Amino acid sequence: MQKKLIASTLALLALTTSAMAEKVKFEYWYGLTGQLGEQVQATCDRFNASQDKYEISCVSQGDYATALQNTIAAFRAKKHPTIVQGVEVSTPDLMLSGQVYPAYKLMEDNGFEIDWDSYFPGIANYYADSDGRLWSMPFNSSTAMMYWNVDAYKSIGRDEAPKTWEEYEQVLRELKEAGNACPSGYAPSSWVDLEQFSMVHGEPIATKNNGYDGLDAEVVFNKTLHAKHMKDIKRWIDEGLLVIKTRETGLSTRDAFAAGECAHFFGSIASHQAVTEQVDEGFAWDVAMLPVYEGTERKNSVVGGASLWTLSGKTEDQYRGAAEYFKFLAKPESAEFWSTVTGYIPVTDEGFDYLVEKGFYSERPYKGRDKAIESLTYTPVTPLTRGIRLGNFVQIRAEWTSQMQAVLSGQKTPQEALDDAVDRSNKTLRKFERTYNGKTLP
Amino acid sequence: MQKRAYFKANWLAYLFIAPQLLIIFVFFYWPASQAMYWAFTLEQPFGGGNQWVGLDNFRAVFSDETYWASIWRSIVFAALSTGLAMSMALVLALFADRQLRGYRFFRVGMIWPYAIAAPAAALAFRFLFNPQSGVFAYLNTLSPGLWNPALSGVDAMTAIIITQAWKQVSYSFIFFLAGLQSIPRSLIEAGSMDGARVMRRMLDLQLPLLAPTIFFLLVINMTDSFTDSFGIVDILTEGGPARATELMVYKIYVDGFQGLDYSGAAAQSLVLMALVILMTFFQFRFIERRVHYT
Amino acid sequence: MIERTPLLNIVTHAVLIFGALLLAVPIWLSFVAATLTVAEVNSPNVHYLPGGELWNNLTAAWTRADFGVKFMNSMIVAIAVVIGKVAISAISAFSIVFFNYRLRMVFFWVIFITLMLPLEVRIVPTYAVAANALYPFQAILDFTGISWLIAQFSGVELSLEWNMLNSYTGLILPLVATATGTFLYRQFFLTIPDELVEAAKMDGSGPFRFFFEVLLPLSRTNIAALATIMFVYAWNQYLWPLLIITDRANYSTVVMELRRLIPGPDAIADWNVAMAGTLIVMLPPLLVVILMQRWFVRGLISTEK
Repeated sequence: MQKKLIASTLALLALTTSAMAEKVKFEYWYGLTGQLGEQVQATCDRFNASQDKYEISCVSQGDYATALQNTIAAFRAKKHPTIVQGVEVSTPDLMLSGQVYPAYKLMEDNGFEIDWDSYFPGIANYYADSDGRLWSMPFNSSTAMMYWNVDAYKSIGRDEAPKTWEEYEQVLRELKEAGNACPSGYAPSSWVDLEQFSMVHGEPIATKNNGYDGLDAEVVFNKTLHAKHMKDIKRWIDEGLLVIKTRETGLSTRDAFAAGECAHFFGSIASHQAVTEQVDEGFAWDVAMLPVYEGTERKNSVVGGASLWTLSGKTEDQYRGAAEYFKFLAKPESAEFWSTVTGYIPVTDEGFDYLVEKGFYSERPYKGRDKAIESLTYTPVTPLTRGIRLGNFVQIRAEWTSQMQAVLSGQKTPQEALDDAVDRSNKTLRKFERTYNGKTLP
Repeated sequence: MQKRAYFKANWLAYLFIAPQLLIIFVFFYWPASQAMYWAFTLEQPFGGGNQWVGLDNFRAVFSDETYWASIWRSIVFAALSTGLAMSMALVLALFADRQLRGYRFFRVGMIWPYAIAAPAAALAFRFLFNPQSGVFAYLNTLSPGLWNPALSGVDAMTAIIITQAWKQVSYSFIFFLAGLQSIPRSLIEAGSMDGARVMRRMLDLQLPLLAPTIFFLLVINMTDSFTDSFGIVDILTEGGPARATELMVYKIYVDGFQGLDYSGAAAQSLVLMALVILMTFFQFRFIERRVHYT
Repeated sequence: MIERTPLLNIVTHAVLIFGALLLAVPIWLSFVAATLTVAEVNSPNVHYLPGGELWNNLTAAWTRADFGVKFMNSMIVAIAVVIGKVAISAISAFSIVFFNYRLRMVFFWVIFITLMLPLEVRIVPTYAVAANALYPFQAILDFTGISWLIAQFSGVELSLEWNMLNSYTGLILPLVATATGTFLYRQFFLTIPDELVEAAKMDGSGPFRFFFEVLLPLSRTNIAALATIMFVYAWNQYLWPLLIITDRANYSTVVMELRRLIPGPDAIADWNVAMAGTLIVMLPPLLVVILMQRWFVRGLISTEK
């Protein structure tokens, strides 16, 4: 207990002198738990062991939302960490906070040369400002994939994953005719069905180039190919080609796939690790890029996951330490470690090439993960495939999901549901715009 | 409810209540009042600025029909889960209090789930409610598709009510048993001398004497189901399907905590608080009248 | 007791057994989950019987979460919260019930309303208070101009600071202040017959003696119930500790560590390890519950009207 009456100037002096001699300590708050949280901790230990000037202290704050919330709370009391892990869709919130020390600037100010062009465009643009400079360091990154059961495909005489949705529908039919009770698991996922789907089809989610060109963007996904896709999904469910698998029904789509129950699921490449751990021995499965509709030209998919943000109000030494840590993470060896212990992918050409050269992707259990890179880099990014920059997107995702659930339970047609989702989402966006009245995206 | 005999020395009264008031001022009223202020502004999460918008946030909330639905849903949830938990706990406590053979075993048997409830409930109830092979899957063998909390809002609501009730049964049991045990033995013995049968004695003697505890639990359980239920919703249904289990407090949690809409969440918090205060006041006003304390 | 009621006894036993089983089913399922492999725990069939992986899962949970010394922290926090809560709410309820002053109903409601807005909703501003618990007073002094006056006359700038981050006080104090206890005592105190108060006054014993010699012994079972509930409540807290404790090595609690075992959406769904962790972490509250319930013994003091 220190109840103190102090002259505040004196206190400031005391603070600055005490930190000189020993290692420079700085904090990093992250939003991963379980086995993944443990591996983040391992990157920190490796960093601390690699040098003796800085000491990073890594604290798991629960999930992404809690980590951000706690950081904001701490920030308001000036007790925040130097680095915080922010989930991809919180990018506009963090950019507009006015309290971020942009990553490109941090590295520049500390004299680190980073080959920014080495970052995959589908990842970098998600976190970049209008001049293409990265505001945060991409960290745990993934993209959406289709997981398919090779054994089930064999039973219908196929050995290749479908490239189009039409072909996918055909496969589902054949599987069903062959007596498969769950040709594919399905759970509404805004990230897969709306966001990544729209990217690979080059369809807009919102006006103003998905929000990149201004806070006054409006969502338009009720008028794009997405609307057709949701109608198809509903039809497939009605025909028994897709079976709803959610946590409420016991197993998620991923776990139902890993248990051999369903022959497909759509999800993050990061799940590759979990599926590997969970499947029985001898179970043959693989991943493939998301299908596209016939007649569409496939575009690149974009990142999912989170990146690392540096916050204002820290000392130069601490920023230097943060920059060192970022530099450390950018090393190919770090990429190798991270790709080995998790299902996430490297974020740079350099890291990827290093792994390819070492033969990392040619053998199980990592075989196939390089298809995520193929998907991310399928085409150069277009204005519509940089990512999404819409405020409070977490609420928009929730809105989309509950509207889709209304479709699944037969309360609404897909079009009605999407129209309602768009209406309500635009209200959210207008509120966001008003909250940041007078501010513009960097 | 009013006592007639009091101590004087009022300065002592203030002294006794001071620690509690001091702590709640610092840790509740001060911070809460700041959050309340946000309800009338649009607040940027990092504190970069805010603007006064008067009642706009409330207008937005009340013009949203899904919000009204969540109010009714919260009331139904609170009433049913409280009713279920309390009636079950009361029956169990009255029977356990008969102190038949094995009484100690049952006393432990009813209380120990409380120690484990919160952290373990997550997974356990997902197993239970699994429509494919959980305990509830039995319903689907009677008639296929009868139980599916992923599609049916009613089923999902049933699931969260059962979970909340389960969480509260042990809690209520503890206080019921404590209440029953503090009824003096002589009163019960006097009752049995009168030749009152066991059941009659429960209804005529023990229940009225238990009234203060029943009232305590009623208020606490109702309040708890309004303010502390988002953990259950988050784990089991995430408010779905199609908002069927979106309770008021869960919506606050999602909008504010996850969506970073501090002002909207603050406005909703004020509404929630007003509603719970109103209900509690109602309970004190009309239900406590029927509670005889001495 | 005295009368013979064979039929009712059978019903009683049946109801109690059924109730105990019903309450135990979810717990049993989570125990079973802790004994399975990661594939089994995620298989479509619910397992009702334990598997053989219990020991492996326990050791995995133990090493990953590094529980060890954190049990001590949890113990300190939980016991302090129980003592603080039992004491503070007893005296404030005593004040509200046994003294007659104008503000007593106001105070009761002021305390009671704290139940109605959960911590989750006000966590951001509450953190600021934990970073400096004297900040509200500073703000009031600044606002009223008192600190300006002090600065004028003494030349010292007033700066009150009491940082509770990374401390036991910060873990304990905010949890001590909720209204459940006060309300429970109030309910019980109201059942104390007026005659007891009158008798105490006749004896010439003041409020202190009445409180310690009459009220507390009578409240024994209620205190036991409250203490049990509060121990479990304090033990299970994670949101607040997660926020204010960043010095994991020194102040982390076991439930904080347990939360970090819960697999997120992209991670391997190793619920078996998380459940094994739960088993370890829940042992102390379980023991407390079993010990405390011995206090649930009927008091012999009769009111003798």
